[in-house]
Amino acid sequence: MARTRPLMLQIVTGDPRPIIKQITDAVRVKIATGELEPGDQLPSVRGLAQQLTINPNTVAKAYAELTTEGWLESRQGMGLYVATPRQRLSDVERERRLDLAIDRFVHDVVPLGFSSDEVQTRVASGFQRLVPRKRA
Amino acid sequence: MGDATNHATDYVIETRALSKRYGRKLALDNLDLRIPRGRIHAIVGANGAGKSTLFRILMGFLSPSAGEARILGKDSQSLTPQDRSRIGFVNEEHTLASWMRVSQVAVMQQHQYPRWNQHAYDSVIGHYHVLPEQKVGQLSRGERAGFNLALALAQGPELLVLDEPTLGLDVVAKRAFLESLMYSNAADDCTVIYCSHQMEEIERVADNLIILERGQLKNMSAPEDFTARVSHWIADVPFKGPELHTVPGLLEMQQLDGLQHYLVLDQDEGFERFLRDAGARNVQSMPVSLDRAVNAFLAKNHAAPAAA
Repeated sequence: MARTRPLMLQIVTGDPRPIIKQITDAVRVKIATGELEPGDQLPSVRGLAQQLTINPNTVAKAYAELTTEGWLESRQGMGLYVATPRQRLSDVERERRLDLAIDRFVHDVVPLGFSSDEVQTRVASGFQRLVPRKRA
Repeated sequence: MGDATNHATDYVIETRALSKRYGRKLALDNLDLRIPRGRIHAIVGANGAGKSTLFRILMGFLSPSAGEARILGKDSQSLTPQDRSRIGFVNEEHTLASWMRVSQVAVMQQHQYPRWNQHAYDSVIGHYHVLPEQKVGQLSRGERAGFNLALALAQGPELLVLDEPTLGLDVVAKRAFLESLMYSNAADDCTVIYCSHQMEEIERVADNLIILERGQLKNMSAPEDFTARVSHWIADVPFKGPELHTVPGLLEMQQLDGLQHYLVLDQDEGFERFLRDAGARNVQSMPVSLDRAVNAFLAKNHAAPAAA
C-alpha cells in the first residue's frame, strides 16, 4: 500500500505570493522535477495544515486547484495522489512553447558552427534517450 | 413562536445601517455587515475603526444611535442569558480570578454552561502544560490564553469572538494558541471572529478578511483576493510627476532615489498608461504582501495635520 510521501515544503508569511500559491507552486515543481512521482500519496489536508501552521481550508483550496489542473487525483476515501501525467496544455500553447524553445535553441547553437545535419542527428539521439521513458 | 426563536439565519452577525455617534464623532457609520456562518473571519481596522463599539453593541452592552444589529439571528438589544451562552469571548486581557485553581474555574464554568463539552476542553488544554491544581495566578500569559480558549470552546459556542488573543504572547505561546484553535476539533462547529493587527497570523488563520475603517465596511473577501487588489508601481517620472490627487486608487506614494513608488488599489494596465501619460520613461509593477496591502490601505486615511 502506498505510504504518504512527506511534502518537504515551507511557506513564508509576508510574501507577495499568497500561501495557497506557495503550496501549489511547490507541489507543481516537485512533480515536474520527479521529486514526487505518479502514485505518491500526499499528506492529508489536516496533516499539511498542521505541518505549516495554517488554516486547513487553505490546504484544501490548494489541493482542489491542483486536482482541477490534473496534477493530483483523489481516490475514494483514500486521499490524494500524484496523478499520471496527461496533456495539460492546449494545442496552441504547445505550439507556442515549441516555437519559443526552437528559437532559443537555434540562437544558442548557430554561433557554435556545427552543420545542420550534425545538430539534427544529435537532437534526435537526445530525444531518443528521453522520450521512451516518458511514454512508459 | 417556535418559528421566530429558532429562525436559523445564514449570518452569525448582521447589521443594517448601524450607526453609533459619540458627540460629533461617528464610531459606526451606516454599517452594513453580514458575516456568514462557519469558518474563520478576521476583522482588521486601525484603532478607532469601530471594532470595540461594534462588539459592545452586538453583545448588547451598548445601544446603537440608529440601525439594527443582530447576532446569531437575535436582536442584540434583547439578548437573553441563554443567547449569550451561545457566544464565546476571549480577549487579550485573559482575566480570570487569580486565586482560584484551574480545576475550580473549570467546574464553575461547567455548572454555568449547560452545553459544556469536556472533550473540547481537554483537547484544547492538552496543547498546554497546565495542571488542574495550579492557581490561575501562577499560569504564564500564554497558558492563561490557552486556558481561556479551552473554557470558551467548552461552552460549545456557535460563535467565538477572539479579540487580539495573542497580543503579548511569545512565539511559542502564539503557535500553541493557533494550533489549539485550528487543530483541536473543538472549534469545528463554530464560527470564529478573529480581531487582530498581526497580518502574519491572519495570513495563516483567516478564510475571510473583513476591513473596517471609520465605522464603515471596506473589504470582505479571502485575504489573497484583497492582496491582489493592491499593486506596487515604480515609475521614473522626470520633474515633478502627476499631482497626487489625480493618481487613481492611490494609497501611498514615496519618492526613493529619484523614482516614484506608488501603492494603488484596484488598478490594472490602465495605470501604466496613466503614468506614461504623466511622463514616466520607465514603469514597472509588482504584487505586494498581505501585510503591505493592509497597512497601506489603513494608513491612507490616517489623520494628518492639514497640508501646509
